[in-house]
Amino acid sequence: MDLNDEDLIKRVVDDGDQRAYAQLVRRYQSQLRFSLRQLCNGDQGLADDMAQEAFIKAYKALPAFRGDARFSTWLYRIAYNLVMSHKRKNAPDVDQEAVDRAQAQESVEEAQQLGMARDLNSAMGELSDAQRQAVHLCMQRGFSHEEAATIMKLPLGTVKSHVNRARAKLQTLLQAWREEVASG
Amino acid sequence: MVITDGVVRPAPEPFGRDEPDFDTWLSQQLQFNEPHLDNDGFCERVMAQLPPVPAKRAERRATRYQYAAVVAASAIVCWQFPLEEVLTVMAEQSISLYSLVGIGILSSMVAMTGGILAARRG
Repeated sequence: MDLNDEDLIKRVVDDGDQRAYAQLVRRYQSQLRFSLRQLCNGDQGLADDMAQEAFIKAYKALPAFRGDARFSTWLYRIAYNLVMSHKRKNAPDVDQEAVDRAQAQESVEEAQQLGMARDLNSAMGELSDAQRQAVHLCMQRGFSHEEAATIMKLPLGTVKSHVNRARAKLQTLLQAWREEVASG
Repeated sequence: MVITDGVVRPAPEPFGRDEPDFDTWLSQQLQFNEPHLDNDGFCERVMAQLPPVPAKRAERRATRYQYAAVVAASAIVCWQFPLEEVLTVMAEQSISLYSLVGIGILSSMVAMTGGILAARRG
């Protein structure tokens, strides 16, 4: 039986039910790890470590979770804080080998993907980091602008501006695809 | 500038910037192209590193059960206790209520002291 996030959190906090938390981890692991891979510039090992740390930190802080925001928003905020903090501490230490490995793997996968996916990735690559994150959170993950602002620790207006600018850029870059889809 | 099949080309005619469905289309494309990452032991690694359930929580739960058991036992005793008969016998035998209460309190204190000592040894 699939319980919703609130029920699972209640079980974890009230009964110390770790199996309920395992369900939450399984529910969000793919999305969070994928998001963090983007945030970690393709370093999959680092992204997975950060995701793991985020889940552990969230578990420890769960009794203090008041439910004002969605669990996913709260979890993403913890994860983003961890990554940003890690980046600040380890700015020069980029695991280039891991990045190269990931990119090589991506290249193989990309060769099998449709042109649309490849061009979408290229177009996303044209955006600034902040624009890319804002688009990812709002348009891919479905967070509201307010939730994205909370996660990114940015003013709401700044997030809206990032999304609008990114949208305009993507609209221009991908218009050939859109025309193709529109024309059938 | 536009990107098609990995090649950057000059932009053709300006295209519907105000199209309201662009967001929907873009969201769909982004979500459709996102791979699902297999768990691949990730969840198990997280669960292995979680701290054990705090003792306090387990204690609270045990205490709650103990209180419930005491309340239930007391309720059964009260329900079954022949109060009227006891009062009648007491009146017939001229037993003072105060001495009965005193004996009750004393025996309760002895029982509690025994319980505390037993709990400390355990």
